[in-house]
Amino acid sequence: MPRSRGLVTALMAFTLMLSLPALAQNDAGQTARTQWHDSIGSGYQRLADHSAVLSSTLSRLCPMPNRQEDGVARMKMAWRDAFLAWQQVRFVDFGPIEQNSRAWQIQFWPDRKNLVGRKVDAWLEQADKVSASAIADAGVAIQGLPAIEYLLFDKRFRTGNATGWTQRCALLTAIGAHLEKVTRRLAEDWQAYGNFYRSRDDFTATTVEAAMNAVEHLRSRRLGAAMGLRGNTSTNAYLGDAWRSGESLAAQQASVAGLSNHFLPGLKPLLTAPDQKALFDDLTHQANETLSEYQSLGRPLKALLDTEAGYRQLQGVYIEVSQLEPLFIGQLASTLDIRRGFNSSDGD
Amino acid sequence: MPNTLTTPLAAALAASTLLLSGCGSLSFSDSKEPATKASVASHYADIAHANYQDALNTARALDQSVDTFLESPTPANMKAAREAWRTARIPYQQSEVFRFGNGIVDDWEGQLNAWPLDEGLIDYVNRDNYQHELGNAGATANIISAESITVGGQTVDVSRITPELLADLNEIGGSEANVATGYHAAEFLLWGQDLNGFGAGNGNRPATDYARGSDCTHGHCERRAAYLDAVTDLLINDLEWMVAQWAPGQTDNYRTRLLAMEPDAVIQKMLFGMGSLSLGELAGERMKVALEANSYEDEHDCFSDNTHNSHYYNGLGIRNIYTGTYERVDGSELTGPSLADLVKQQDPQLHKTLIGRLNQSMAELGDLKQRAEASSKPMPFDMMIAPTNQEGSRIITDAIEALVVQTASIEKAASTLGLASLQPDTAGHTF
Repeated sequence: MPRSRGLVTALMAFTLMLSLPALAQNDAGQTARTQWHDSIGSGYQRLADHSAVLSSTLSRLCPMPNRQEDGVARMKMAWRDAFLAWQQVRFVDFGPIEQNSRAWQIQFWPDRKNLVGRKVDAWLEQADKVSASAIADAGVAIQGLPAIEYLLFDKRFRTGNATGWTQRCALLTAIGAHLEKVTRRLAEDWQAYGNFYRSRDDFTATTVEAAMNAVEHLRSRRLGAAMGLRGNTSTNAYLGDAWRSGESLAAQQASVAGLSNHFLPGLKPLLTAPDQKALFDDLTHQANETLSEYQSLGRPLKALLDTEAGYRQLQGVYIEVSQLEPLFIGQLASTLDIRRGFNSSDGD
Repeated sequence: MPNTLTTPLAAALAASTLLLSGCGSLSFSDSKEPATKASVASHYADIAHANYQDALNTARALDQSVDTFLESPTPANMKAAREAWRTARIPYQQSEVFRFGNGIVDDWEGQLNAWPLDEGLIDYVNRDNYQHELGNAGATANIISAESITVGGQTVDVSRITPELLADLNEIGGSEANVATGYHAAEFLLWGQDLNGFGAGNGNRPATDYARGSDCTHGHCERRAAYLDAVTDLLINDLEWMVAQWAPGQTDNYRTRLLAMEPDAVIQKMLFGMGSLSLGELAGERMKVALEANSYEDEHDCFSDNTHNSHYYNGLGIRNIYTGTYERVDGSELTGPSLADLVKQQDPQLHKTLIGRLNQSMAELGDLKQRAEASSKPMPFDMMIAPTNQEGSRIITDAIEALVVQTASIEKAASTLGLASLQPDTAGHTF
């Protein structure tokens, strides 16, 4: 069954049923896809750039244990930048991201049973075998941003002494190098994908559906599960993204910002009739409302879940996110006459 | 934890809009008694009824084997009980295709087939080889060892182990990993933890865990026996209820309500069940997660290493719904008007493609099953997902790809049959 397993980002190919009225909007569709290709491409490039900075920061700073405290702080910052850059383009669940489970290579999630921690611990025991290519051959739990997060933020490494630092450093460097490579190739492959993407009408619906899936996923899994609103009845901060770094809510906020930055601009040419323009305005407005609600939180997910006042604040966010859903999944789908196909989140 | 706040919120937000309905016109093929959407829907309910009856009958056989074992806890009787458990999985796994789209099944099945479970809730575990869900307060409660347990501030008297108590304990503390009931709880009690990682071998619980007096191993044998007895009894109660929901000739069961709907709504549930099980659940949750993360914690039947069969019979359940056929446990075959007939009427080429793809995925899942059960060097699922096992990875990847491809054809079939949407109104999670 797995009531308790939530699948992550979409990672498998699925075709869409696209109906005729949408196909009739060929020109607008072409314009939309051109815009989407550009803005998603810029998001991927930003991810690749931040991943490269993270990788070089790790390889440069972590061999210097005498500067460890300052170095760790800078490595954490570089991690955060790359992680949030990823959240912005995480909604894209088709195209080059589908190759070799790249989405999971970048972020394996959810990880209810601490697989990332256990895999990293096992690799720390065999640090002599660590290399970027060894990481590339290993499973997704060791390959991405959560593994780096574990090595930088987990409380077991907070003792302040440098014991085991060499092993940690070797692993950080190798995972960083792998991530840099994956994200660079992702950005390159997206560029190479451009002609195909722009030329195929059905990618209009595919792209819209990716945004729909992301909104549903955000409400139900990334926020709702931690709040005890998804089958479970108790709150659990470990069900959020990136709980170790306390960036769960920042990650969600970045994903909403990603829809604003990398999805809505391409949508605009498809919504030109007066009532459609109104829908576009509603979408933009609701995304902005949601962002400002996230902005107002000010504390990490766990701290908010632990108090009644904090929980109420989260409810405020939840309400805003929930209002995105009927706009994206209801109104937008019917306006563009898009039928949602199956996706990899249909499993429970 | 302010859980009480969730209810008003739920009420405020309960309306999430999904696209729905619309129907297409049908032009029938020239066979004498062409299938109609209504006759296909009715036969779907027949298959569900037969499938759940088989699940019930095999669960009764499991219950009897367990009773015999508990009466006389010998290794031979334990082996027989394990075999009965494996047999009981065959119809149940086929029935999972009814889960998606039929809210009555989805709401019910957590008590029967929830996984992965934090088995330390139930009994002793080897702490070095036990990773429970983060934040789960009940993960090491060990009901068998205690007269009362406290989970998340809630203290429960567990001195008398009954089916009702276990049903109440399921998901205690609000965590879905606290699985106290169902097939996997019984599986854990029959096999124990699989401590072999990616290596050969499954759980190796000794029969003496149920022995009386000084022969008892790991303590609390009587309570363990009471637990196993209660968990199999509950399984029967639950399956009896579901069989009744699909029984013909009733005035107020689920079957009656289902068949009173527009046939299109039932056809939609059928296709939604097939596609959701095929892609998101089987290919995704049950295979891809375990493979890509090299995670035996994500193996479906992880104690018994029966995962290959669970996957195979999930796949068969999907094909059953399309072809309108179901081979009962006694070997007899149920046939009738099918989705295949409807698709053939509209688009023979699509039918050919879809049936070909369903057969292909069964061939791939058959390959997985065969490799896992090979007499020489068997490779069960938890060995296939080992980091360096290229052959295992290929076998699983082939099955995943076949399931992904067939799902695309299921979507096309929905379109061909004139469905405006694939998402039934009962499919979303309620909160």
